[in-house]
Amino acid sequence: MENEKTLIQFRNIQKSFDDQIILKGINLDINQNEFVTLLGPSGCGKTTLLRILGGFLSQDGGEVYIDGKEISSLPPYKRELNTVFQKYALFPNMNVYENIAFGLRIKKVSNDIIEQKVMRMLRLIGLEGYEKREITQLSGGQQQRVAIARALVNEPDVLLLDEPLGALDLKLRKEMQYELKRIQQEVGITFIFVTHDQEEALTMSDKIVVMKEGEIQQVGTPVEIYNEPVNAYVARFIGESNILPGIMVDDELVRFDEQDFKCVDKGFKKDQPVDIVIRPEDIDIVPAGKGKLNGTVESVLFKGMLYEVIVETVPGTHVTVNMHITSETANQKDDGHIHISGNSFYLDVDDMEGIQDKDLIARADAQAWNDETDEQLSIESVETNLEKKIGTYEITFTTVGGLSITKTIQVIDQQTVRDEKRNEGVSAFNFFKSKDEIQESVALDTDLKTWANAQGWRLNNEDQGIPLDVTYDFDPETITEGVYPVTFWTKGREFKIHTTDYVKEGSRVGLAFGPEDIHVMEKEGYTS
Amino acid sequence: MKTWRRLAIPYLIWGSFMLLLPMLLIVFYSVIQPGNDVATFRFSLSSYVRFFTDRDFLLILWRSLKIAIETTVLCLLIGYPVAYWISRCSQKTQNLMVLIITLPMWINMLVRTYAWIGILSEGGPLSIVLGWFGFHNVDLLYTEAAVLIGMVYNFLPYMILQIHSSLTKMDPSLIEAASDLGASPFQTFWRVVFPLSIPGVISGITLVFLPAISAFFIPKLLGGGGWFLIGNVIENQFITVGEWNFGSAISVIMAMVMMLLMTLVRKADRKASKEEKA
Amino acid sequence: MKKKRPVGALITTLIMIFFYVPIVFMIIFSFNSSKSLTNFTGFSLKWYEQMFASHDMMNSLYVTIVVAVLATVISTIIGTITAIGLRYSKKLVRAYVTQINDLPMMNPDIVTAIGLMLLFITFRIERGFATLLLAHIAFCIPYVMLSVIPKLRQLDPNLADAAMDLGATPFQTLTKVIVPEIMPGIVSGALIAFTMSFDDFIISYFATGQGVKNLSIMVYTMAKRVNPSINAISTLLVLLITIILLVVNIWPVIREKIEKKRQADPNYLPSPHKHTARNWSIFAAAAVAVSCILFFRPAAGTQEFAGQTLHLYLPGEYISDEMLAEFENKTGSKVVVDNFDSNEQMYIKIANGDSFDVLIPSDYMIQRLIGEDLLMKLDPEKVDEALVQIDDQILDLPYDPQNQYSVPYFWGTVGIVYDKNKVDLADLEKDGWGIFADEKYKGDIYLYDSERDQFMAALKNLGYSMNTSDPKELAAAYDWLVNIVQTMEPEIVTDEIIDNMANGRKALGMIYSGDATYVMQENENMGYYLPKEGTNVWVDAMCIPKNAQNVDLAYAFINYVAGYEAQMMNSTYVGYTAANKEVEDELASTDFEGINSYVPRTGYDLDETFEYNPDSRKTIADYWSRVKVVASNSR
Repeated sequence: MENEKTLIQFRNIQKSFDDQIILKGINLDINQNEFVTLLGPSGCGKTTLLRILGGFLSQDGGEVYIDGKEISSLPPYKRELNTVFQKYALFPNMNVYENIAFGLRIKKVSNDIIEQKVMRMLRLIGLEGYEKREITQLSGGQQQRVAIARALVNEPDVLLLDEPLGALDLKLRKEMQYELKRIQQEVGITFIFVTHDQEEALTMSDKIVVMKEGEIQQVGTPVEIYNEPVNAYVARFIGESNILPGIMVDDELVRFDEQDFKCVDKGFKKDQPVDIVIRPEDIDIVPAGKGKLNGTVESVLFKGMLYEVIVETVPGTHVTVNMHITSETANQKDDGHIHISGNSFYLDVDDMEGIQDKDLIARADAQAWNDETDEQLSIESVETNLEKKIGTYEITFTTVGGLSITKTIQVIDQQTVRDEKRNEGVSAFNFFKSKDEIQESVALDTDLKTWANAQGWRLNNEDQGIPLDVTYDFDPETITEGVYPVTFWTKGREFKIHTTDYVKEGSRVGLAFGPEDIHVMEKEGYTS
Repeated sequence: MKTWRRLAIPYLIWGSFMLLLPMLLIVFYSVIQPGNDVATFRFSLSSYVRFFTDRDFLLILWRSLKIAIETTVLCLLIGYPVAYWISRCSQKTQNLMVLIITLPMWINMLVRTYAWIGILSEGGPLSIVLGWFGFHNVDLLYTEAAVLIGMVYNFLPYMILQIHSSLTKMDPSLIEAASDLGASPFQTFWRVVFPLSIPGVISGITLVFLPAISAFFIPKLLGGGGWFLIGNVIENQFITVGEWNFGSAISVIMAMVMMLLMTLVRKADRKASKEEKA
Repeated sequence: MKKKRPVGALITTLIMIFFYVPIVFMIIFSFNSSKSLTNFTGFSLKWYEQMFASHDMMNSLYVTIVVAVLATVISTIIGTITAIGLRYSKKLVRAYVTQINDLPMMNPDIVTAIGLMLLFITFRIERGFATLLLAHIAFCIPYVMLSVIPKLRQLDPNLADAAMDLGATPFQTLTKVIVPEIMPGIVSGALIAFTMSFDDFIISYFATGQGVKNLSIMVYTMAKRVNPSINAISTLLVLLITIILLVVNIWPVIREKIEKKRQADPNYLPSPHKHTARNWSIFAAAAVAVSCILFFRPAAGTQEFAGQTLHLYLPGEYISDEMLAEFENKTGSKVVVDNFDSNEQMYIKIANGDSFDVLIPSDYMIQRLIGEDLLMKLDPEKVDEALVQIDDQILDLPYDPQNQYSVPYFWGTVGIVYDKNKVDLADLEKDGWGIFADEKYKGDIYLYDSERDQFMAALKNLGYSMNTSDPKELAAAYDWLVNIVQTMEPEIVTDEIIDNMANGRKALGMIYSGDATYVMQENENMGYYLPKEGTNVWVDAMCIPKNAQNVDLAYAFINYVAGYEAQMMNSTYVGYTAANKEVEDELASTDFEGINSYVPRTGYDLDETFEYNPDSRKTIADYWSRVKVVASNSR
């Protein structure tokens, strides 16, 4: 920027609400005539910072300077800046003209000057002829413009915009982005814009401030932020990215997925853990073996201008179990119109802690119904000789009228598949089903996971589940009695690639990228 | 869901009979000759003529209007700052305050009014307090002041609650916006907050004025037997004198006067807001 | 940007004090040991005892609660159903319902009230519990709809379609989807309805009859005479409401805790029941149960009149509760008491066909009722025993020769109660009734709000008969009274005079002898004077109206009340002169010894008894109503 004069300075701003810390000591300089965007997810403190600048909140600690003057003690109406509010906050008791004239009337500006200025503003925002309209007669975009005009007519040094585009639909939002930029360039003052939308930030800003949990992550131009994100958080927030953990082997050499890659970054410590980002558009798809990595195409999505291709380079953790398809009659009994059904099942000896009847019913998928009234009946009692020991047990479910069905429970010590390096564990059980149940299933993948009690988790934290995928090679429509393998697996290393060339799902491909496409970042929270 | 339409039908019949018909009956009785009923009616405006040609009845109507207006104005003057102050408190305090204001309304209105008899009479707490300030042997009971106190006491909560709810419905960012545009707290209040709370003020005025003009037990309890308002005249006509035609006519007149005044208030508001814009 | 606003805080605090002072005052004086409303003489629970002993109070409390609960339940159900129906109705229907719903909300209560009264009268529906309930339902429904309709508007219009798409019938859609969704609106509507009904006075006052009264009406009809039991009953209500509010506010917190505890318990199985539905049905069941208990409260005994009800209509504060309780015990019946302010007020009700079993009006009114054929001729055999006990001087008087229609209850005179320290007896002897026009006592007098008696004083002072029908004489009396209200600043009161004179608030006033007896007992500085121009010697007597529903019980009541035991209790309690000769003589020499108002003046030529004359009655009624209007206007 040509004009580098600092206008606003935040010094160590702290703020908390009800013991919750919102801002953790913000330091930030904003120059004159800049379009600055405060970007971050909701709750990151961006709006709080803006409101402190506007004077609607007072900080718990730190100072705010405008033009070198500390302004913390000034009430909003004595500050030389104006705000465009989230939902515009137009005065519903006044028409368009009076809303825009409000600030001038307060300053006791003479009527003819007010008229001049308001008309100029209406021209600027393209709403000439709307001055007599009531606020409620305006569309969202028009209200937005009036709110901007109402603020700008006071000729502030700084305009604060608090997510002003949030209430507009997508098309209008795009229009207003250009409109705002145009207005900013035309009036030539500082705009401070708050948003959670990275696209808005990239389109309009001279400078983007990325915030997270009350702290500034990175300050830079849109290009800097996009190309050189300082950490995985910023990379993830700005644009789509492949982010993977790695280790800096040496200057300009980084290792991930057990391979070393040349890169352009240096200055890290030896063997320092880092995050690596590779933008989807920086990867090219080449024939298998011709690139730096090889993998299988998982999915291809057409996105208008280009294809989004997911390629798996390293497989995930797999576990395969047997599905026993048994005959109908064995699993179902009836007594006239009353029916009951249930399946034998496996149970892990470690899972028996605190097991309840409802869990047993769910595992056996025990159901009872009346085929005449089509009414589901409840399972009234569950009897079992189940013990917490490996072995085979009997279980009897009884429904209304004493109709019961007896099945077996195999208690086994289920082996799990563990992948220490990937920090993943996967387990599943063999299970019994009838042909009908397979065919009647509305969502077979989900049912298979339930029936097999398939689970995936992080080894270092059992509570953190990992979603599983399922594959099988039978045809549900034509399945017959027998034993079928079913495989459950976690996702491996996947890369997202944006390309204009179509590739076939399931094919083997190579991935190519240059050293300059690999951006190495400090790990979040890593202190060297 | 057209079948659900039928759900409203019983009420159409009920409402016509229990709500609309009584009003028609009042009008009907007011225009027939005394002593007649539905079967043998004879049209006559004599009840109206009697009211409007009698200086004393007109005086009573005038006084009822006066005291109802005084009550309304007092309620507004006291109620607005209170409602405003409450609306500026934290949500928790607001809920508590609203509860505190509503609580007395759960206690029988007559009982609360009745308690004022003891407070206002000579030797009661009020005269003792006034005695500290050098006003000795003040006896407010059975005076206009007592009636006014009783009315304000009974109807003020409605005013506060109405204004409070219109103030809290207001988008707080409007206040911030005004302040942001350079308006001082006073200017913010006068140019933004107050105009926007007008609907609440109007429904508050309605809720106070309506019972105030027709009140008859407050004047009877606190004003004594010699303190007639239009409500007492109506009660007297129905309960003691038994002239329903005349009583009905007075009711119609009162309802008309009231409607006229409420329309005026609404019009004034509309005119004021238009002037503001022009 | 929160700032302290000290001025606002101060005003708010003052207003809160303003709101609560009367309530605190009421609570404090409910524990007062004396009747005074200004002097706390000591702690006592006697008003609470009296309250629980008083049938009247307990009954009105029951009526209030039963009507409020029933009206709330019914109006909530109807209001909700109608609101749902309206949502799908044509615009015209919606506009119409909105308009008629606005009627009770946009009109003063008194207009709605007299409208309903005229409706009941026009269609000859006897006013009583049923009409009271109907009226309450009528004005509650619009409030319920007012709070349900906005909730319905917020409802996703596709919600009902979605439910039916998933197989719900219209009824299931209503009960399982729509109603639960608008429940907050229904609950707040029900709350408003309950408050409105619980607190209502004006509409109830005009819509009820047959002695059915809620708390408000009871307070209104007895408030003239200070009875601290009102404070006691109100204190009780305050306590009740505070407890309810506390429970309502604290209950969710407790339930949350219980829920947490249950969930922590490993054996806890989440129950599939719908809590809200169950809670509501429990609430409804409880409400119905409570109302049933309250409604069918009296348990029938084995006595002759067990389970029967006697409707009694008499002036306020004119009967001993103890005596009533005794009668109820003896007969097993229940007495429902309704009070009137004046004979004229009573007459209007009777003439309108309101039914009572026993009335206690005054002499001239009895004459009028006989003349208009509204009273039943008493069977001489059935009242003979009663009549022999009555003082001869008040039997066989012109209003009811040979007492064919009535049995005397109390009797007495009308005179002047005066403060011996403020009024010179010589002035009284010189002026007689004319003392009311004596400038010396300007602003220091009470007139009595009774057209007959006030005109009696005027006529007597002017030297006419109080039974005159000469328009000139009546006009002169009117002028006499107008002159007084315009120049003397009198207060026109009814029963307030009793406590006010007992407290010595004014120098003198017109008073009934029985009330004077009470005043003189309370305050020894008070005297009772009968002017030399003569006065009204009156008799109030029991009679049975033609449309009485329980004649046998009415006879039993008359006989009991005329007896020694009952008259003793009654006269001691009320202070009026007993009609029973033995009781009269005994009390004159014991309890009321030295109190000249207890023994009426008899045999004085200028004293008269009222006779009924329809022409002069109308003239006097009209004149008196004008006098009051003039009085109001001259202040």
